[in-house]
Amino acid sequence: MRPLTEPETKTVFAKLANYCSDLKTLIAPLDDGDRYVLRLNHSRVYYVRLSIANMATSVARDQLLSLGTCLGKLTKTGKFRLHITALPILAEHARHKIWVKENGAQPFLYGSNVVKAHVGRWSEDCPEHSGVVVFSMADIPLGFGVTARSTAEARRLDPTGVVCFRQADCGEYLRDEDTLFAG
Amino acid sequence: MAPSRTRTIKNKHAANGSGIKGSKQSRNDRNAIPDGVLKAKKDPSGKSRAPPPNVKGRPNIAEILKKRKRRVYTEKELGILELNKITPVGVAKSKGTKKGKVFVDDRESMNTILAIVQAEKEGQIESKMMKARQLEEIREARKAEEEKKAAERKERMDETKDSLRKKRKRPQGGSGKDDGDGDKINIRHIAITGSKAAKPKPAKKRVSFAPEE
Repeated sequence: MRPLTEPETKTVFAKLANYCSDLKTLIAPLDDGDRYVLRLNHSRVYYVRLSIANMATSVARDQLLSLGTCLGKLTKTGKFRLHITALPILAEHARHKIWVKENGAQPFLYGSNVVKAHVGRWSEDCPEHSGVVVFSMADIPLGFGVTARSTAEARRLDPTGVVCFRQADCGEYLRDEDTLFAG
Repeated sequence: MAPSRTRTIKNKHAANGSGIKGSKQSRNDRNAIPDGVLKAKKDPSGKSRAPPPNVKGRPNIAEILKKRKRRVYTEKELGILELNKITPVGVAKSKGTKKGKVFVDDRESMNTILAIVQAEKEGQIESKMMKARQLEEIREARKAEEEKKAAERKERMDETKDSLRKKRKRPQGGSGKDDGDGDKINIRHIAITGSKAAKPKPAKKRVSFAPEE
């Protein structure tokens, strides 16, 4: 387990900035004097309290399975891939949101894109190809994706047209159970 | 061979010892000044003259020249191309820097990176939004123009229809019977095509061959 280097930190923050509007609150100092830091273990990036990260140094690297919140994985080409485990953090600071109706929640959780017919409401002024967090109508975060059309264009779209390409959904906790935390 | 110059000696017995050129005495007295007249001699080796004696209060020029060292230029300053060495040119790292990765863990540097990244992203999103808005405006303008054109077309159509209706009423009132048939065809044609541009051609005469018996 080690802290991230400068280019790694940049890549991670750049990816998070697609979905979150205010990132400064992520690393802001907490009331008890502690703060959150980013740590890398087995090419996975963890968002964890500094005190816990310090404690975790007593665990051997190959024995340490996970700590804090896993944000995603740094690929060998230097890119960063967000995992579904980062959803609570993204949902809290989401820049753009889409709410899907009851009939659209299940298809989304099974891994399909969001079609216009399933959209209950969405954020105004959302441009094309920007990160968006998908919520159910009861404001429960289901996953996140990338918008296929801008809000204005999506209005003219037919009901079967895709408005959001899925990136990750909560169904992955079951589907990718074996590879999500290790391997 | 160049002719040797003869020298006139005014009083050879007086000053120059024995007066014989190669004699012992004359050799000893070579440095002595004859007649008090000193002729300038050229140094055969071409070296500069001996330095003048030190004058008090002034620095010695020769010493200064000696002290001033010649500047030594490095290879970089001269712009000489670097040759291949055992360690390639690009790989060589400066000494004293930390080996391996440089981690970012303190809040300040993280904040700086965050601010840079966020500013970049905001700029990108803003430009995207601007572009989308402009496109939307263009689309709206085009749509409005199309609607306007459609309304105009409809209006023109209505006008022609009205005019045709009026025309139809007129011939019933007083004009001759001959015109009636031709007009009817014409009106029907205009009503169908919506324009007066082309008049209907009279029906073409067709020729058909009777079946052979």
